[in-house]
Amino acid sequence: MKARKHHPLSPELQASLPRVDVDNLITSVRYDVDEDFAHLSIKDHRVCQGCPAKPCLDFCPVGVYRLDRQDRVMVGYQACVECGSCRVGCPLFNIGWALPRGGYGVAYKFG
Amino acid sequence: MAPKLAFDAIVVGGGPAGTAAAITMAKGGLDVILIERGRFAGAKNLFGGVLYTHALAEVLPDYWERKPPFERPVTEQGYWLLSPDSAVRILHKSEQYKSEPAEAYTALRARFDAWFAAQAVQEGVLLIAKTTVTDVLRDRKGRAVGVATDRPEGDVYAPILVIAEGVNNLLTQKLGLARGDLPPRYVALSVKEVVGLPAPEIEARFGLAGAHEGVAIDVFGDATLGLPGTAFVYTDAKAVSIGVGLLLEELVYHKLRPYELLARFKSHPVVRPYLAGGTSLEYGAHLIPEQGYDRMPEVAADGVLVAGDAACMVDALHREGSNLAMTAGRMAGETALEAHREHDFSARFLRAYRRRLEESFVLKDLRQYRRMTDLLDSTPDFIGTYVNFINEAAGRYFTAHGIPKREMEGEILGLLRERRSFFGVARDMMTLLRGMRG
Ligand SMILES: Cc1cc2nc3c(=O)[nH]c(=O)nc-3n(C[C@H](O)[C@H](O)[C@H](O)COP(=O)(O)OP(=O)(O)OC[C@H]3O[C@@H](n4cnc5c(N)ncnc54)[C@H](O)[C@@H]3O)c2cc1C
Ligand code: SF4
Ligand code: SF4
Repeated sequence: MKARKHHPLSPELQASLPRVDVDNLITSVRYDVDEDFAHLSIKDHRVCQGCPAKPCLDFCPVGVYRLDRQDRVMVGYQACVECGSCRVGCPLFNIGWALPRGGYGVAYKFG
Repeated sequence: MAPKLAFDAIVVGGGPAGTAAAITMAKGGLDVILIERGRFAGAKNLFGGVLYTHALAEVLPDYWERKPPFERPVTEQGYWLLSPDSAVRILHKSEQYKSEPAEAYTALRARFDAWFAAQAVQEGVLLIAKTTVTDVLRDRKGRAVGVATDRPEGDVYAPILVIAEGVNNLLTQKLGLARGDLPPRYVALSVKEVVGLPAPEIEARFGLAGAHEGVAIDVFGDATLGLPGTAFVYTDAKAVSIGVGLLLEELVYHKLRPYELLARFKSHPVVRPYLAGGTSLEYGAHLIPEQGYDRMPEVAADGVLVAGDAACMVDALHREGSNLAMTAGRMAGETALEAHREHDFSARFLRAYRRRLEESFVLKDLRQYRRMTDLLDSTPDFIGTYVNFINEAAGRYFTAHGIPKREMEGEILGLLRERRSFFGVARDMMTLLRGMRG
């Protein structure tokens, strides 16, 4: 495996990204929310404190991970579309990830 | 104790791979149960996407009479190479694409997978939706003998199990057939939006003669900020499917929000007019396993076969996955039928499945393109550099500057040299060729 060569994005490119209200975006998604079982969890909040970049806050496509007032990572599992990215992408493997119970979770109409 | 619930075969997952396996086994006379965690087969599934009928025809030769819910035939396809403010379009439109049934159709998975699973039911498969398989049951020798589900008294038994659980292959990992998740540099996260528009609008904007024509465009360059990934624009019957996907590692490294990339792509000056006035019908996201060949799980174990995305069977370069999944599912089904005939469910016997895959396009293509992701990833600005160059070169080429053409050619080469050294270009071309040849 060759070493990766990342170059930081230019500030102009960064600035060209529009702000998007993800909560508004997901109003189009149908969910059957399981109120009794949260299929996602932070394994250990202390680990998140030692995670400076906190990439989960950004790469989750529906914004499940947010910071609360104490800068603790909150998990809004109800919005999850079960893509699996956080399980793979959390650099410290700190996300407990299970499938929702049968019939619950996202239900695409188009897909 | 209630009697054991037993079948000839269990299939986990009602996507293209699982349903193809279930149909093949049911047609061969087996008593098959297909277990799907979604409210219905397809509820969890999302792709671009383009379905290829060759794979479907081998599972269901009479699929056309069964009226599959396709969106539009793909009668024009190709690439857009986007710079921040321009595009070079390479599209192929041909009468050759207009046979009926066509070679490829756009489709929406919630509809297509539901239809495909309904065909399995017609063939005698017992489809159980809203049920998550939580574990594989094994005997004392470690051989798979059934599955546990999240239903009360939900254990189900069979001598053979086809796992077609998709990219989040938790069961495959639990069985030790995959060594954990793919690392973030070998999965792409794609986000997609289905934008509703009246059919006549779609046809006018994309230059289509009617409902019997459609386009599939893969987009490179500015849509992913030049980073390793692709975007797409596909026409559905009354909607445009638009999406963008990047290697997850890039999103993590650059702290990018995928929905912002999508919004940026949608507002690109070349893209925006196609979507103007459309309504957002649905947003969604899904992972794609990239460069599977070298990271493929074992596809056979005692009593188990693994097919489709669960075994990383995606040819990302040609946006093919559903056809590999269907073909692998069918081959898993055929192997299970033989195993039943011979009463041999051992890993040794079931390895015939791997050999079938090797002789087919599934493993031939995956082997050929095994280096593509590494190539892009070792030079993450590869796409951006060349796509921007091609756009600028086209800009010069098509503009009359009142300078001799020979000089213009020199200028165009100069543009490339500004971006990359002569040897850099030569090396990039070599790696690209090697990546394509495998
Ligand atoms: C954005 C995007 C664009 C794509 N574009 C194309 C394209 O244009 N053409 C193409 O051919 N391919 C495309 N693909 C790839 C294609 O979608 C996949 O390769 C294909 O869906 C794989 O099929 P599968 O049956 O293996 O898995 P999936 O389709 O993922 O099906 C897996 C099924 O298993 C179910 N399941 C999982 N775990 C369990 C469990 N424990 N219990 C019960 N059920 C379970 C899931 O709910 C799901 O229904 C694209 C993919 C993406 C993400
Ligand atoms: S990426 Fe992982 S460790 Fe870091 S903040 Fe998020 S969950 Fe915590
Ligand atoms: S699985 Fe995907 S959608 Fe769900 S929380 Fe993780 S990253 Fe977000």
